[in-house]
Amino acid sequence: MSDGTKRRTVLAGGLSVGVGLAAAPARAEASTPKTDLLTLVVNGRRVRVDVDVRASLLDTLRDRLHLTGTKKGCDQGACGACTVLLDGRRVLSCLTLAVMHEGSEVTTVEGLADGDRLHPVQRAFADHDGFQCGFCTSGQIVSAVGLLAEHPDLTDAEIPELMSGNLCRCAAYGNIRAAIAAAARLSREGE
Amino acid sequence: MAIGRPLNRVEAREKVTGAARYTADARLPGMVYAALVGSAVSAGRVRAIDTTRAEAAPGVLAVLTHLNRPQWHGTPDALRYQETRFPLADEHIHHHGQYLAMVVAGTREQAAHAADLVAVDYETRPAVPTLDAALPDAHQPVWRFEPEFPTLLAIGDPEAMLAAADVRIEREYRTPYYSHAPMEPHATLAHWAGGSLTVYTTSQHVHGDRPVIAGALGVPPDRVRVISSLVGGAFGNKTAVWGPTLLAAVAARQVGRPVQLVVTRKQVFTCHGHQPPILQRLRVGANRDGTLQAIVHHTVNGTPVLFDRPEGAISPTGTVYALRSVGVRVEVARMHMPTPATMRTPGDGPGMFAVGSALDELSYELGIDPVELRRRNHLAAHPLERKPWSGKQLLECYDEGARRFGWERRAPRPRMMRDGGDWVGFGMSSAQRLEHHGPARAVVEIRDDGTAEVRTSTQEIGTGNLTTLTQVAAGGTGIEPDRIGFRSGDTTLPESSPTYGSRTTGSTGTAVHLAALRARQVAARLAIADARSPLHGLPEERIGAAHGRLYDVDAPRRGETYRELLRRNGRRSIVEQGFHDLAGRDPRFSYATFGAHFTEVRIDDTLRRVRVTRHVGVFAVGRVLNPKTARNQAQGGIVYALGGALMEELTADPVTGRFIAPALTDYHVPVNADVGEIDVSFVEEPDYGAHPLGAKGLGEVVAVGVHASIANAVYHAIGIRVRDLPITPDKLVAGPR
Repeated sequence: MSDGTKRRTVLAGGLSVGVGLAAAPARAEASTPKTDLLTLVVNGRRVRVDVDVRASLLDTLRDRLHLTGTKKGCDQGACGACTVLLDGRRVLSCLTLAVMHEGSEVTTVEGLADGDRLHPVQRAFADHDGFQCGFCTSGQIVSAVGLLAEHPDLTDAEIPELMSGNLCRCAAYGNIRAAIAAAARLSREGE
Repeated sequence: MAIGRPLNRVEAREKVTGAARYTADARLPGMVYAALVGSAVSAGRVRAIDTTRAEAAPGVLAVLTHLNRPQWHGTPDALRYQETRFPLADEHIHHHGQYLAMVVAGTREQAAHAADLVAVDYETRPAVPTLDAALPDAHQPVWRFEPEFPTLLAIGDPEAMLAAADVRIEREYRTPYYSHAPMEPHATLAHWAGGSLTVYTTSQHVHGDRPVIAGALGVPPDRVRVISSLVGGAFGNKTAVWGPTLLAAVAARQVGRPVQLVVTRKQVFTCHGHQPPILQRLRVGANRDGTLQAIVHHTVNGTPVLFDRPEGAISPTGTVYALRSVGVRVEVARMHMPTPATMRTPGDGPGMFAVGSALDELSYELGIDPVELRRRNHLAAHPLERKPWSGKQLLECYDEGARRFGWERRAPRPRMMRDGGDWVGFGMSSAQRLEHHGPARAVVEIRDDGTAEVRTSTQEIGTGNLTTLTQVAAGGTGIEPDRIGFRSGDTTLPESSPTYGSRTTGSTGTAVHLAALRARQVAARLAIADARSPLHGLPEERIGAAHGRLYDVDAPRRGETYRELLRRNGRRSIVEQGFHDLAGRDPRFSYATFGAHFTEVRIDDTLRRVRVTRHVGVFAVGRVLNPKTARNQAQGGIVYALGGALMEELTADPVTGRFIAPALTDYHVPVNADVGEIDVSFVEEPDYGAHPLGAKGLGEVVAVGVHASIANAVYHAIGIRVRDLPITPDKLVAGPR
């Protein structure tokens, strides 16, 4: 009810700004920034946070919820470092506003391990040295977890193409592929 | 033995769980955010800058411009600052993107919004946009600091030797603007307390950054602490202090709060270094038997309008192959470009593209196999230092690489190998990188609980150095790696070598090695002198160490743990320093790392897209400390150079010189699907002359020669020689050249 109304208001607001810009190039004067009380379920925990309506999901996770495992590599949806699972789907958290996701479930890299027990994909990345500097790793791992959930029968040959949305400038690509292939085998054998 | 084991990285758990803390992850109470405004023009000046709307925007605490910034101290030259002017120095604009204002606000969103409200009135002047436009200005560079390589040199009489050679080729090679493009954008968090400044920053050398930051802010260096432990990739563009770090520090002082400044991806591309375009003219003369008579190498690289910054592409020219004469001339040409930065692999990367391509061209002229041509010109001694190379297993690298690759299947001429719709080509190149080193210090502490700790200021930039240095400490102390902690990336720690130029293994590694050996020696002497020790009275050389225990090498069951020894003697710990002394090398030799690359490309006849389907790299880097991290780094270096060979280019607008698309959407670094099978191996022979550990640098040499190896394979496949990188499909649509 009220949550839905809020979301629609924000969307409509966003739209009208766009129309306004098209009609008159003058930028709307800065007014007091709008904030919105948002509820998210992050890594299984329900959190309520007052967010700037301009804040991306990524910045909200990092700045407001102090979950800094998710990284900002480009802030324009080109590198994949900010990948999180949103209601189970892989999304680039830099490209979506937090306020658009009232009530959603978010899984970040911090939410994958079961206490001290690493998620099989995390374990595989560690054992196969699937990283160097580690800055893209959170995104790689969350992407891989999402990928395996979507494609339980993933073949090794499919991995390079399906993981190409996650850049690794250190280019640990071979090891990333080996890690995901190992985790895929493990999850198939586990079934 | 811990050294040589394929251990997982010591920080692996933190990196796979998201617990690893990078600079932009640091949080301090009361922290506020800064955002930068960059110039929209490439040349000119700020006629007026209106910050009133930005200052009035919600949450804004300060807006700094050249008109109201605090006074800088010292001079850029005296502080050896990366650029010749400090940020916001004055109203003059020398390149696009140049920082003109900084906004500080309570939240990230407020800062970004207010930065948008800063209005700049420009007086625009014509820019020198491209290297071609700059060429009339080509001139002998004036070094800002001490010369790093000769810019004009002749050994023998290269002109006469060229004239007398049986075969001559004259070619021009070009490399474009390249970006380092590390995944982590530059970030700084600055915090003042009681007149002392703490700076968290993305740095490859915290002790190097400290005097620059302190000097520019007018603070004694001992009141400045620089912290950079984990770096999200660098490749050279975090080797020096950039303007935003200084701006964050002055802003934090002004607003009385910790200030975080993370630059945008666009700003990483425009204001945090790149490799400038380089033009190389190469003349090579050889006799019919393939013996090289002369190489004359003339390079011109773009340089910023304010100072000369030569690229050392001549590095391989005289030092890789046996030559009877060499001539080099290095020039620079002023362009309105942002400040470049040393990039993996400086000099040798672009230089070996030219030299390695020219050798290949020569091999076809002479009808000699490219590997055989290189063998015939094998160089045993450094021609300038006049000393034999130490640890040069280059011939073995050729052999092993050719065998692993299946080089004998190579057709002798281009356009002879097809597989369905694909042209198939084989190419190869040598790799070489001089083994640079520098002073480094480290401390190793053995504690009475049986653990140890390494302390040195190095940072983990992805090379695996925290792991390999832990293994070195384990080798020295005989304590298992999982019982060894590491403190790093902080100016409160002993000064390591910088984490650039492949210096960590040789220099910092030696310091850790010596510290560990000394700590163990002190413990051994304590046991020998202790009447209650089972090792009492033994000669020192009979005491070994393994599994956290000192023992008699002649009777290994006789011994005791460090824990027992220290506790019984009431010692909490043993702390010893190690120092890598530049004089520690055997002076009779010259030092470098070596390798050979072999590449198979496939080119679809219709699409003309080049795919590297197989690449074999074999390297001689002395002893390999950790084959797992080493192989990973080598594969990464090969892919890094593959990007430069096939897809990477920052395109400049031909009128303004601005980068047209400074974004990862358009600057194409290799993605997972671009990378085929990469086979890395090592001809492993410890080089004890270079360093007491016998291990040398790795991160640079692996990327040297890849461009040529790929370009040579492309020619072999399709008969088109591309001499201007990257080798994009448009350059392959014509017939054979």
